[in-house]
Amino acid sequence: MAPKKKTAKKTAAPQVPAWALILFGTLFGYFLSKSRATDFDTVLNMFLFTDTQLYGVIAVAVIVIALGLFILGRKHKAFAAQVKGWDNPPLDRKRLIGSFVFGAGWALAGICPGAVFTQLGEGKLSALFALAGLFVGVLVFLRVAPKLLKK
Amino acid sequence: MHLYALLFSQTWAWWAGGLGLGLTALAFAWFTGQKLGVSGNVEAVCAYAAPKTKVAPSWRGLWFLLGLPLGGFLANLGHWNWTWLYGRMDGLSLGSFVLKAVLLFIGGLLVGFGARWAGGCTSGFSLMGISRGNWMALLATLGFLVSGVITAQILYKVF
Repeated sequence: MAPKKKTAKKTAAPQVPAWALILFGTLFGYFLSKSRATDFDTVLNMFLFTDTQLYGVIAVAVIVIALGLFILGRKHKAFAAQVKGWDNPPLDRKRLIGSFVFGAGWALAGICPGAVFTQLGEGKLSALFALAGLFVGVLVFLRVAPKLLKK
Repeated sequence: MHLYALLFSQTWAWWAGGLGLGLTALAFAWFTGQKLGVSGNVEAVCAYAAPKTKVAPSWRGLWFLLGLPLGGFLANLGHWNWTWLYGRMDGLSLGSFVLKAVLLFIGGLLVGFGARWAGGCTSGFSLMGISRGNWMALLATLGFLVSGVITAQILYKVF
């Protein structure tokens, strides 16, 4: 979007150390697994309305994050400014089509991007196929993206 | 013994799982100053193979992605084993391994393609987006769910 910032961007954001990224990834995967978000049947039953587990998980997580960001942001202005600086994809009807494509895949393979990585650690070998699909899907999108998005 | 089972083999109630995910995302924001998002990390890695894209290539997100299976491993340490079983997908694919592999590959492909088209997935949008009042994130999440419901009804109720 803004080519001028290209060099500034590289130096502006301090690099998060690898150990921290691994730690947060581990925590996120751990709780995804505990939430049953990595369980095919739980995901399917969410869509069939026979298990409300994941609706509850998402709702609680959203409330915790919203409250947390609000409380932390009130006391720490620098943090609030940082959060404000995160990119927000603009409303775009074409993106809504993308969300429908995602939903179809979510129901078919029972995975969201975070869950498929986590499943491998759970020992679910079948996730390898979905993981391969995920990378191919993202790559294909990147190649055709200019045609599908505004500007 | 109970604590060991709770930590390393049982799954949790919705509120406990949601609390854990929410606090993790919050801590990530606090300590790194960044927005947690899984598919964006995948995209940054794939950007190396798509030179014309505007997305800046980065492999550092791989560290985060590497953590995810570690977490899945720890959460199931108490009864951990390799398995090809995949819930009701085994029934949907009529017991055919090849069909299961193909269906899972297509599903993953749709998830990857759709997530980046929408602009985020369940983590960056449904969790980090809605909680900040981002309308596109809310709209996309509704899209995920409506489309998932329709797809599941077709796959498991019609057939």
